[in-house]
Amino acid sequence: MKHLLPLLALGLLAGCSTVLETGDRIERGLTPPDAVNYATTRPEGGFTTQLNDARIGNKIELLAARKSKTDGGYTRVQFDLRNGSYLRQTINVSFEWLAADGTVTESQPNWIVTPLEPGALTTVTATALKASSAECRLRLITR
Amino acid sequence: MNKFSLLACAVFIVGCGTPATYKDPQGRELVVSLDKVNIQDFATAGSQMLQSMVSSPSFSKGAPVLQLGTITNDTADNFDTSLLLSKLTVPLVNAGRVTLLDNEPAADPSARPKAEYVLKGKILEDRSNAGSTRQSSFVFQLTLVEVKRGVAVWTEEKIVTKQGTKNAVGF
Repeated sequence: MKHLLPLLALGLLAGCSTVLETGDRIERGLTPPDAVNYATTRPEGGFTTQLNDARIGNKIELLAARKSKTDGGYTRVQFDLRNGSYLRQTINVSFEWLAADGTVTESQPNWIVTPLEPGALTTVTATALKASSAECRLRLITR
Repeated sequence: MNKFSLLACAVFIVGCGTPATYKDPQGRELVVSLDKVNIQDFATAGSQMLQSMVSSPSFSKGAPVLQLGTITNDTADNFDTSLLLSKLTVPLVNAGRVTLLDNEPAADPSARPKAEYVLKGKILEDRSNAGSTRQSSFVFQLTLVEVKRGVAVWTEEKIVTKQGTKNAVGF
């Protein structure tokens, strides 16, 4: 019994989620933060980027952004992304729509998980629901 | 020593575990379950279905009158299928892209518009495992039927697949 109780305590310690979470926090502290990155279409064409996670710049290339109108006059945007690294990457994308004056008109309530093999190219498409939505802001995170 | 050991055990039992906290339902720190459809799975499938639906010619102009049909839950998990449908109907109605018929009878039935389209579908699941690794796939199928002609004018299928040995938090 004398030896059993410390062993039991050790067992509880090993199975304790709080301890594991602390380990996860240390790991995250050693790596750059998982920041959200943005690419926003411009009224004159093309796009601007806001890179908050430096790691993504070495992995994912944003090749192009195309903007068009549907038959009903709603804005549709396509972003071409490429995994430029030698490893499989999983990116998560989400869209926000902005009016001509910059106010947010629509926001996608979730992240779309997009796995990308090395060198793979993918096109993510979004169509606005509101006629006032003029520009699209792509949100990107790596994990 | 015995007392000390008991105290150590008690401390670990009390201190163990993570206290419940509020999380952003649209965030990336949600529980991912292998054996059930999570709230974020409905959001993912729903938003992808919505994007596909608004790109169809039926939704290119005006606000067609839509009636919600039956969504069959053919999975072992018990959930309300409106968790999926609301991901489509809420943005569509709020953006004025559809006129959604209510299931309640109208006070003036003659004023009630006739449904142009009916949205129906099915949610299925497929499970498999390899050793201790489990995989669950949930298949979301939706079809838009034009009432007048009785033909499907849009149909879409989205699959959400999750794999692992145990439930987890995050992507």
